[in-house]
Amino acid sequence: MNTYTRRGFLGLTSAAAAGLGLSACTGGGTSTSGSGDATGAASNNLRLFTYEADETIGLLRAQVKKFDQQNGTTTSVDSLPGSGAAVYPDKLRTELLGGKGPDVWRIWGGQIGAPFAKAKQALDLGPYYSEFGWDSSINQQAIDGMTFEGFKAGVPFVSLGLGAWYNKSLFAKAGVSSPPTTYAELEAVNDKLVAVGVTPLGTGGKYGWHVMRLFEYLLEHTAGPELHDKLLTGDESWDRPEVVEAFALFKKWQDKKWMPEGALGLDPADIEPAYVQGTTAYTICGQWTEAGAILAAKKNPAGFGNFELPTDQQPARHSGFVEGYMINAKSGNADKSAALIDFLVKPETQKALQITASTVKGAEPDPKTLPLSAEWGQKYGDNPFYTIQDQAFPKKQADQYFSVQSDLLQGKTTPEAAAKKMQEIVSAWAKG
Amino acid sequence: MATVALTKPAKPKRGGKWSPWLFALPALVVYVAFLVYPALSSLWFSLTDWDGLSATYNFVGLDNYVKLPSDPVVATAVRNNVIWTVVTIAFPTAIGLALAVALNGKVHGKPVLRLIFYTPAVLPLVSIASIWGWLYNPQYGAINSFLRLIGLDGLAQPWLGQDSTALWAVMVPAIWLRTGFPMLLYLAALQGIPKELYEAATVDGATRWQQFWQVTMPSLRPAHYIVLALSLIDSFKVFDMIYAMTYGGPGTATQVMGTWMYANVFQYYQAGYGTAIAVVITLVAIAVGIPYVRSQTREAS
Repeated sequence: MNTYTRRGFLGLTSAAAAGLGLSACTGGGTSTSGSGDATGAASNNLRLFTYEADETIGLLRAQVKKFDQQNGTTTSVDSLPGSGAAVYPDKLRTELLGGKGPDVWRIWGGQIGAPFAKAKQALDLGPYYSEFGWDSSINQQAIDGMTFEGFKAGVPFVSLGLGAWYNKSLFAKAGVSSPPTTYAELEAVNDKLVAVGVTPLGTGGKYGWHVMRLFEYLLEHTAGPELHDKLLTGDESWDRPEVVEAFALFKKWQDKKWMPEGALGLDPADIEPAYVQGTTAYTICGQWTEAGAILAAKKNPAGFGNFELPTDQQPARHSGFVEGYMINAKSGNADKSAALIDFLVKPETQKALQITASTVKGAEPDPKTLPLSAEWGQKYGDNPFYTIQDQAFPKKQADQYFSVQSDLLQGKTTPEAAAKKMQEIVSAWAKG
Repeated sequence: MATVALTKPAKPKRGGKWSPWLFALPALVVYVAFLVYPALSSLWFSLTDWDGLSATYNFVGLDNYVKLPSDPVVATAVRNNVIWTVVTIAFPTAIGLALAVALNGKVHGKPVLRLIFYTPAVLPLVSIASIWGWLYNPQYGAINSFLRLIGLDGLAQPWLGQDSTALWAVMVPAIWLRTGFPMLLYLAALQGIPKELYEAATVDGATRWQQFWQVTMPSLRPAHYIVLALSLIDSFKVFDMIYAMTYGGPGTATQVMGTWMYANVFQYYQAGYGTAIAVVITLVAIAVGIPYVRSQTREAS
């Protein structure tokens, strides 16, 4: 009778495993990863991946069902709401690498969507732009936000501007009768709110990007449009007085309790809607808050308002970004996916979806159902915007930037040192 | 009545010498496909500059490993891993043992108490993270509210919002949820200790404290081995609590090797560098774990 030793058994196992592993790793220099390049088989089954909020996912599912009924398709809709750009792209990327990526996915523009275009995971939608006439039906500036080095990787359907959304009763409690029109007035409003025991700005730094909205506004205020844009592209040094001043103001907002105590540890999902609940006076966000926070809480929009944060600069700008749909380059259903996107960006579909900042001509928000979003669009919709900073930088540099913010707010670094550190981060990226 | 022992004639073995391998084959295939192969793939990718998304990459040798020591976040992550491992092994083990000893005696409502102490271990981690996130809320959280209520306003902190307390604040719920498991193991082991040992010790005049150290603790040695080995593995792979409660922040203050590996592979499009971190985590876990397991195995045998 043969005897088998554990050592021998494991040795053979290892050899077999090594053989398998090495067989997948043959070839030096430039190689092809194991993820495969095969295009999926055509079928009538589509999958749409999004980060639609719980409050509005039902609207999307209803419209997708309508598309299915018209086209004989079966489309499943998966959503990962709540985490913002911090988690959703990771999950999408994992699905794509696993070979089971969605046919269509929603994504932000700028540096969040760019890697999917660069890696050719997203299909070139140029031919579909021609076929469906998206160039003429969708805002051109928004299209530019999802075009990467001439590669039209996405169809933007949302172009959002960030402003201050406030609780009118809390402003009234502090004796503030109208929104501020200068930065000095905004600081005065903050002081009045604090004096009556109300935290002015509801912001949370858990992921970095929410508290960033305050700093980017302060930078627009101190640097002005032209310099701000050059800073974001690395064409000007961050190690300069305007940036130092912005960091100093940032710290001032915390020291004067104009943002919540311990803001760095707060989750944006908890703190952003606090102005609706009445625990903070305002927050910095986009039009989605009307459907997602005010209407979802069954509150009357008349009790709230919005205003563009005053920069004291010309032209007056606000932070903004686009979101849109991409098609999986490996989808076997590219034509049907494009047809689905075309259906979703029809003006009537956009209205049914209650898109509060549609890029589609003829789909402006309805003042009856979304009065505050309509008001924002009328007042500030035509104002230019600067690229929101977590889309201006790749994720790694954005996280480094958030670390600088964190150190500054904790008093571990000075505004001067923060400006120098930012220059190191941005120049290393720009050179790369 | 007499019984007759019948001896069956020996039949030739089916499959002959390959029988053991055939029995092992299903498990072997699963092991190779889902553990060995991915591990070797990761080892290979750690020698490349793969971004984790593109179809192509380049072989870069040991570059990713050379870069590790100069990455300041790696230093923070290693330090946090060490602190996490020591604290989340020591406290749950000690508390679990104390609870087990307490519950092993005559205690009213013993089943209910066991359930209460073990319940955190079966709760979803994301729920735990959310619950403790609310408890730690600097303005409205129960912890700061309680401190203010009893006049300790000065101790109220933004627990998760500052570098000095964030890691410790995450370790508290980790200890809370990890105490139930050692408690159950110790409880089972305690019930297996013969009462005669305690009776003999009592006759010899040993106090309860002396009985604990001279009878209970030596008898629990196999349980110690299981608890510590499993805790060590659990602590090394820490990821979920940090990710859910602080996302590695503020800044990078609570990054551990697991979260930093995840950030590089899945968020920064540096899969080569991230898998190099994963390889290092594995090697360290092996280096620390194997001597301990060997020494305990020798002792147990």
